[in-house]
Amino acid sequence: MTSAGLEVLLQTLISGLLLGGLYALIGIGMTLIMGVMKIINLAHGELMMVGMYIAYVLFSSFHIDPYLSILIAAPVLFFLGIFIQKYLINPVLKVEAIIPENQVILTVGIGMVLANIATIIFSSDYKTTPVEYATKAWYLSDIWKTSPIELSLSMAWSVSFCVALLITACLWFFLAKTDMGKSIRATAQDKEAAQLMGVNVERMRVFTFGLGSALVGSAGCLFIPIYYLYPDLGGQFTLIAFVITILGGLGSTVGAIVGGLILGVFESLTSTYVGMGWAPVGRFVIFVAALIFVPGGIMSLFKKKRLGK
Amino acid sequence: MKRLSLIILMSFVLSLIASSLFAADTFDLVIPLPLTGKQAKFGEMMKRSYEIAAEEINAKGGIKKKKINLSFEDSGAKPETARAIVEKLIDTKKQPIIVGEYTSACAKAVAAVAEERKTPYLVVASADDDITQKHYKYVFRQNPVNAHYSDAVIDFIKNVVKPKTIAILFESSAFGTSGADAMVKDAEKAGIKVVLKEKYEAGSVDFKPLLSKVKAAQPDVLYMVSYVMDASLLMKQIKELRIDAKLFAGGAAGFAIPEFIDNAKDAAEYVITATLWTTQLKYPGSKEYAEKYKKKYGDYPSYHGASAYSALFVTKEALEKAKDWTPEGIRASLKATNMTTAFGPVKFEDKEGYQNQNFSDTYVLQVIKGEHETIWPEKHASKKYVYPMPTWRERR
Repeated sequence: MTSAGLEVLLQTLISGLLLGGLYALIGIGMTLIMGVMKIINLAHGELMMVGMYIAYVLFSSFHIDPYLSILIAAPVLFFLGIFIQKYLINPVLKVEAIIPENQVILTVGIGMVLANIATIIFSSDYKTTPVEYATKAWYLSDIWKTSPIELSLSMAWSVSFCVALLITACLWFFLAKTDMGKSIRATAQDKEAAQLMGVNVERMRVFTFGLGSALVGSAGCLFIPIYYLYPDLGGQFTLIAFVITILGGLGSTVGAIVGGLILGVFESLTSTYVGMGWAPVGRFVIFVAALIFVPGGIMSLFKKKRLGK
Repeated sequence: MKRLSLIILMSFVLSLIASSLFAADTFDLVIPLPLTGKQAKFGEMMKRSYEIAAEEINAKGGIKKKKINLSFEDSGAKPETARAIVEKLIDTKKQPIIVGEYTSACAKAVAAVAEERKTPYLVVASADDDITQKHYKYVFRQNPVNAHYSDAVIDFIKNVVKPKTIAILFESSAFGTSGADAMVKDAEKAGIKVVLKEKYEAGSVDFKPLLSKVKAAQPDVLYMVSYVMDASLLMKQIKELRIDAKLFAGGAAGFAIPEFIDNAKDAAEYVITATLWTTQLKYPGSKEYAEKYKKKYGDYPSYHGASAYSALFVTKEALEKAKDWTPEGIRASLKATNMTTAFGPVKFEDKEGYQNQNFSDTYVLQVIKGEHETIWPEKHASKKYVYPMPTWRERR
């Protein structure tokens, strides 16, 4: 392989991993909700959009760095999630409907309402938070002067990636070590048994939806320094989260991380070696392939004890 | 009873006379525009520009002593709606000339109706080549066609950059594809080798895989056809990867509007782009219009506004010079138009397979110190172009 070819390959892998880390954080919230409550939240991308608007408002009115705004956006999204679960989804779940999956339709509706509220408040214009470090990067040739190839590592992307890892680690610690986390896992594994063991299943469900929303809200804050924002942005990220959830195995947190990274790298490789117009096709291919060949998700390939389901 | 009906009849006749008297000193012009939906931003800008023009014309006595009475109908950028509006204007309101619309799809629908009903139609800002290639007798277009958008850019590249290779990135829409295809043709004609031509999906997050391919191909010129947010993301990530081409060029659209600089910040510096009009042009009325617009609405208009503003003056000229206000009279008068507007010279010609098409100049803008400056053609330049530009490493 020539050095130019090697440079392209390595740069592609770096981009893919960084992108995958963010995808993973977007996917984790959805997988958590799906694992615990067995419901598909199709308003997931819209919740992320709400998180991004919070970061945008904080930045444009108070000059708060988007990364710091996680501290505000996550709690706000947490309570928004709780509200949605308690007053919108729970009542619907209790009703015997003709369509068994009426909650799916409900979440689509919630997503539409959120997107339209955003359009009314902010109009459909594109917004950005132009931060100082948006285009800063580290270069291989700055450290290793005689390097035959040049690689760059974007600062904003790397910071987002590290924060995403940090948040995921905190979540793992929470689920694995705390009583609350154990109750959530118990609810996910067997609702009736958990109830018999004295777990307040109803409360766990409400809490989990809040947690999932807070996670995707944080993902929004990590995303806005490197992307831009408009009200209809949710849809494509709901789709990405959904693919990751299927790929990682429903409800598996570790699976979502692996799934996110695989999707990110796969998309980047498709962009480089097939053509960038093919990236969405690649996403679809991986989705169908996962459904056919690994119906239990990647984590079912490792038959080990794992988090979540 | 008889008296009552007489009174009613009298008042009816009176009101008829009154209204016809009133009509005698105004000229009603209804303009179809997208005022809602995705294209509303441009519709709004054009509406304001038509209004500014009407004010100026009325202040100077109107058209043949008739004041212009402008009103607008919202087509929502939907061809069916635009078609219905124009059918009504021609059939019931008997409007002798149609002006307006924005999207190419709407303009096409309107053009078909106008041709069928034999009513002159002045296209203001729709770029699809097709509209004036259909041998329509009654359709006139003031703005240049898509295929000519990058003429000035090609000219600049040929004369100043003299590159050997070019890479083309474009959005996978009709606009992006036709822009890229036109560039491939132009480049081949100029003897420039196309080393890479790749499309991408609008709204992509990560262009870096694509861009590292561009980097490996080392083109002299990187030409991109993108809308505004993709344009700024592309430049930002080009800066991140330190891709050093001799020139970064954009094909109109996303690169030519102020939002591009606002979002890409310093990564936008030295990028050139094609455009149809700039606020710095020295045509009579050009600067005054731009300043008036800015004073009233806070921002400078883009070429869409300037074209709309000028279209009303073209209409005025055509109506004044027409021997009568029949479709034939107005058509003949439009055909004979030869005037200079704020948008540039307007003259409708039949050539290169187009009919009644105005071939005006296009221009090149360069981002210099965070501002769009006109740099080409040189006689219109507001600043000398910066070339060669420093490499990314040399910049701060």
